[in-house]
Amino acid sequence: MKDFFSKKGIFIAAAALLVAVAAAITVAVTGGHAGFASLLSEPFFKPVKSAMTSLVGSLERTYDYMYRYDEIEAENERLRARIAELEREYREYQEISEENARLRELLGFAARYEDLAMEPVSVIAWTASNFSSSFTVSKGSSAGIELYDPVVTENGYLVGQVTSVTSASCVVTTVVDTSMRVGALIYESGETGVLSGDYDLFKAGQLKLSYLGEESGLVIGGTVVTSGSGGVYPAGLVIGKVSGIAVGSSGLDPYAIVEPSADISDVTHLYVITDFSVNE
Amino acid sequence: MENTKRRAAVKILILGPYLILLYILQSTVFTHIELFGAKPMLLPIAAAGMALFGGRIQGGVFGLFAGMLTDLSCNQPTVEFTLILTFSGLLIGVLSDTALVQGFPSFLLTAAAELAVCSAFQVVIPVVLRNAPPAVLAGIALRQCGSSLVFAIPFYYISRFLSRVISR
Repeated sequence: MKDFFSKKGIFIAAAALLVAVAAAITVAVTGGHAGFASLLSEPFFKPVKSAMTSLVGSLERTYDYMYRYDEIEAENERLRARIAELEREYREYQEISEENARLRELLGFAARYEDLAMEPVSVIAWTASNFSSSFTVSKGSSAGIELYDPVVTENGYLVGQVTSVTSASCVVTTVVDTSMRVGALIYESGETGVLSGDYDLFKAGQLKLSYLGEESGLVIGGTVVTSGSGGVYPAGLVIGKVSGIAVGSSGLDPYAIVEPSADISDVTHLYVITDFSVNE
Repeated sequence: MENTKRRAAVKILILGPYLILLYILQSTVFTHIELFGAKPMLLPIAAAGMALFGGRIQGGVFGLFAGMLTDLSCNQPTVEFTLILTFSGLLIGVLSDTALVQGFPSFLLTAAAELAVCSAFQVVIPVVLRNAPPAVLAGIALRQCGSSLVFAIPFYYISRFLSRVISR
């Protein structure tokens, strides 16, 4: 100990004093912003410190992630539920929007025919037959639907007629079916005829308007509507437009090819006319 | 006696849901699918398969219910499919018990014959009663047979599998 203070001690004390003096000079030179030690150590330790800081930062983030995992997962779950809820609301909105559009169309149609009583129905199944065109709808006699009631779209386009009824459902045979006969007239010319399904036109989804006069004045694009004769259909329901004119095999019986206005193969929501007044 | 009852119960438990499934497919999914311009008829093919692999009783009973469901899926009040599929089921069953080998060629032949008979009735009735053009209807009938026979391979394996399960 004696030696330490006598030799090494004096040396260390001198070194310490030297460092202190150097530090004091450095502080004085840098205006007190950096010490001597830091100036000396900075070039060596800066990369190490940077690396360490970066590592610690990563560890902190990992720790935070681990620590907050449950919280993040719960938040994720909440967001997923929210997205699902918003998607559901969007689907509902779309359905309501479509229904609204249908009802607006129906309102316009119903305003033209104040005397009609209608029952909304949905298509639940199409026929499996390749030789007929019919479908089953969601309501039957318990909703006031009767045999031979006409069926229309929201725009009032004629789709078909009820041909079989049970209490909970009914079968609608469409106008393109070969068993159908509808009294019709061409709106523009007033020419009357009988609209029927035809085996040649059936697959193309078209109809045949026959029993027309020779001077029928058929015009492509003419609107074909129900004549109301017979009292089965209300007068003036739009069936379709004349898309072509042809002559039967005898060469003496001209007929019109009619394209239905309703997209019959794609109907989903329809209206059964359960009552209307007949003005004959 | 107990064994016979158990077998009958197993048949009902297996073939009942099978028929209902076929009916649902026939009247929902396959009314929107057209192959060669015609909707396939599944129930007649299934009936041919069950008759070939199960014999006349199974063929007749399965044909009866398959026919009723086909009439129902076609929205027709008549019972033409009920009659056709019942009698063809019995006939195929008898042929299977006596003459036919229970392989794919026999199945294809019987299924095609059954579809041809069904289609022939669908053509003849409107031609006779409503003076419909036979050529147009024959075209539809041919397309119907073709689109239905596309499903012959899956129905061959399904019918064979179900009949084996039932007969165990």
